[in-house]
Amino acid sequence: MSRTDVLDREVAGALSELSAAAKRGLGDPALAELVVVRASQLNHCAFCLDMHLAIAREHGVSERQLDLLAAWEEAEGVYDERERTALALTEAVTVLTDRQVPEGVYEKAAQHFDDRELAHLIGLVVAINNWNRVMVSRRVARGEYTP
Amino acid sequence: MTTEETVPHAPEHTPRLAWAQHAPEVYKAMLRLDTAARRGLEPRLLELVKIRASQLNHCAFCLDMHSKDALAAGESVERIIQLGAWEESQHFYTEKEVAALALTDAVTVLTDGFVPDEVYEQAAKHFEEAELTQLIAAITVINAWNRFGVTCRMVPGHYEAGKHQ
Repeated sequence: MSRTDVLDREVAGALSELSAAAKRGLGDPALAELVVVRASQLNHCAFCLDMHLAIAREHGVSERQLDLLAAWEEAEGVYDERERTALALTEAVTVLTDRQVPEGVYEKAAQHFDDRELAHLIGLVVAINNWNRVMVSRRVARGEYTP
Repeated sequence: MTTEETVPHAPEHTPRLAWAQHAPEVYKAMLRLDTAARRGLEPRLLELVKIRASQLNHCAFCLDMHSKDALAAGESVERIIQLGAWEESQHFYTEKEVAALALTDAVTVLTDGFVPDEVYEQAAKHFEEAELTQLIAAITVINAWNRFGVTCRMVPGHYEAGKHQ
């Protein structure tokens, strides 16, 4: 059960706008969902996982890719290089408290994404981190909130 | 100039990516979010929260900005310095500020666990509902700025107080 009402309406609107702008700019809905699901795993957000696993399937992300996502580094042949660099960046940007974003991780992502795509990919990781924080803090249960 | 100051510092790094230029709609949404999240919060409390989250996320650019803004808003140097060890220096802060700092730590470090009930309950005791909603939003927003700042390696040291307020 959630702890209380979740968000101020203006804040909610801005959060949604941020997510939408990042997804639009990235222009790869399936990859976007992989990124969003991975960040939600790291932040332990049940609400976000429930919601985005469903959206990922709608966008054609395979069951195999979703099943192995928590161990993507060891899952050879399941993700292509572009996806792998995006996932590595997602993890680095999500777990800031342990270390900076390593040079190698950033450089590899920059090889597969141009500046515009990269800025939106980072924006997307930031956006899902926002939702993760709000939903975990408020302990919002599955289906209790419609963004 | 003292002797120490004549020893040159390490060179300044260059930013990795001008993200706001490459993603102007994302930047616009961030500004809207920042404005929305700060409504209803005391400015001095907000700066303490922003500095503390930026410490945890190691965002040099954000520390530069928010320490300058806090000082300009009349915050004391010692309260800013003690934020790095606020649990041991609680008598520098009000109980309400302490509750906000504990919540800031919990919401910022999500990857190690969840937001503990006792931390949430303490915050809920000191902040009425609407204010608590805004506090959580504000903690979320500084975490967002921290992520852009660190990932794109934005350069600290050039901010002037009040520029982004």
